[in-house]
Amino acid sequence: MGNLIKAEMRKIITTKSWWALLIPAFFASLLFALGWGAFTNEVGEVLSSRETQTITGALGIETGELPMGLLAIGHGINVGLLFAVILGVLAVAGEYGKKTITTTFLTAPNRPMALGAKMLTYSGWGALYGLVVSAAASLGIAFVVDGERMPSSGQWLAVIGTSLLAGVLATLFGIGVGALWKSVAGSVVTLTIYMLLIENVWVFVSFGLWQENVAWMGGVLPNGTLNGIVGAIGAEAFGAAGVKIPGLEYETAWLLQYTAGAPGAFSWWASALIFFGWTMLFFGGGWAVNQKRDIT
Amino acid sequence: MHDGSGRIAVQNLTKQFGAVTAVQNLSFTVEPGSVTGFLGPNGAGKTTTLRMLLGLVTPTSGAATINGRPYTQLGNPARVAGAVLENEGFHSARTARNHLRVYAAAIGVPDQRVDELLGLVGLTPAADRPAGSYSLGMRQRLSLATALLGDPQVLVLDEPSNGLDPEGIAWLRGFLQSFAKQGRTVLVSSHLLSEVEQMIDQVVIVSAGMTRYYGPLEQLRASQRSRVLVQPADANALVTALQEAGVGEVQPAHDGRVAVMNATVQQIGDVAAKAGVAVYGMEEEKADLEQLFFQMTSPQYAGGPLPPGQPPQQPPQPPQQPPQPPQQPPGPPPGFPPGPPAGQPQNPYQAPGYQQPGQQGWGGGQ
Repeated sequence: MGNLIKAEMRKIITTKSWWALLIPAFFASLLFALGWGAFTNEVGEVLSSRETQTITGALGIETGELPMGLLAIGHGINVGLLFAVILGVLAVAGEYGKKTITTTFLTAPNRPMALGAKMLTYSGWGALYGLVVSAAASLGIAFVVDGERMPSSGQWLAVIGTSLLAGVLATLFGIGVGALWKSVAGSVVTLTIYMLLIENVWVFVSFGLWQENVAWMGGVLPNGTLNGIVGAIGAEAFGAAGVKIPGLEYETAWLLQYTAGAPGAFSWWASALIFFGWTMLFFGGGWAVNQKRDIT
Repeated sequence: MHDGSGRIAVQNLTKQFGAVTAVQNLSFTVEPGSVTGFLGPNGAGKTTTLRMLLGLVTPTSGAATINGRPYTQLGNPARVAGAVLENEGFHSARTARNHLRVYAAAIGVPDQRVDELLGLVGLTPAADRPAGSYSLGMRQRLSLATALLGDPQVLVLDEPSNGLDPEGIAWLRGFLQSFAKQGRTVLVSSHLLSEVEQMIDQVVIVSAGMTRYYGPLEQLRASQRSRVLVQPADANALVTALQEAGVGEVQPAHDGRVAVMNATVQQIGDVAAKAGVAVYGMEEEKADLEQLFFQMTSPQYAGGPLPPGQPPQQPPQPPQQPPQPPQQPPGPPPGFPPGPPAGQPQNPYQAPGYQQPGQQGWGGGQ
């Protein structure tokens, strides 16, 4: 297995994809955190006094100290993680596209080991992506969010930790989709449109139509759960996810979750578990299909 | 683990892609110490067979083994068998050296092996160019280098001459022959007999997914020697006279002619004169492997596309050899020490009836 992991590492570093995706991931996270951070910084000013008091009272902090930066950092990270998903797609679908999958299977003892080596190698790369985008998003909010509204160091560590986890799972999710579909272009376009547009619009519209009856929607769908891993840290800091603050209106809670990039998230670990389920569904499916697929 | 014999065994191999039968009950063995040609027209199932042998395609039924084991049970398979396949993929942006380093790592051979092989296939000057900039011939060389990374005992090549210039083909021929002389196994597919005729000792001929012949190429060539087509006034009288004189081997031929093997025009003329049989013409036919190959394989398209699921008909004329299940015990069979000259007459894979007159062969048996 060590040999195969070494081979996978060499495959990645001898082509440009890893940095050609990492650089836009960095800047997407940075820019999104900048923009969203500027917005949430202002939201701190405009939250109605009753709601603000409910939250700050429950958290035991001053109004001006609400960690508004946390709401933006998750959003920034979530956008960057899309590139980790794309990196994962390239792992197997890219090999089918270039037909190098033939040699990859020929030089591995068997297919489970070839795919296992990819899983382990890309987990490391996913973690790296998670780290880089969390750094980029941190940088972004540092520029625009007032010092007293920045996350505490504990919250920051939680964000970075969950970002690493989300990066790993996002990459494995991409591997699974690519392994199932074999098409890089198809997988990337579909996933991008779905994750950026379709699911967000659906979650937003369905909440508008049916309110709290479908508030859970974003908490179970793939994009929502991936985003919820990091985003819920922000929402939880406002008592809008996880252990919720009593008396917080559901619309406010959902709005806070939405602002944090995790509408409907139950908690960060519930999002992680559910997204892990999605990952396993696609990865397991891709794995199973690749055991029997004829390489012609 | 595998038995280390270097033997490739294909037994009753069948593959169906949906309604299309790509390979039908194919059986043959390939022994170490010789270069075996795997011949058949395009679409005969060669590539599918090789890919089943390499564990890339799952057979519908039957088995294909190397060293007594399916490819995926060889442990570190690239150290046992190397493969040069058609459309071998290279990442277009990855250099040849990096391509080889990737798979050297996967196989677990040191990186210096990469430099050795770049030198062997003559790609050292182009080693740091992206494979996407390579010509077809250079890609074939890079494929070969990839196949040889693990210093394998068995080498499988699918249409390797594609894209090679004459110099490259000559080099490949020499390389494969010396590789086989080390007691290793080489199986090389082609749709053109002439392309590989000079490099192979043994031959497996397939058409429409079925084995048409396997055995030494020499034997196939010998079957074509000394064949004279005689047009006598009285065919029966000539046949009787030839048999009495013990000259040649007679086959009843089409269009009233008599086909005589292993006899010269002079010998036949003398016998005919002595027996008082008028001879209107004699035609000496030269060994034309290509034509024989064509006859063996042409039925594939002779009657239009084959209906799915129905076994293809045996060709009407070629010297058929029933596929022998490869059930030989491990170890080289008699007459096949590593690196013998081609065409041992005692080849165990040669059907005894192959050359017998009157049963098969040119114009016979109908």
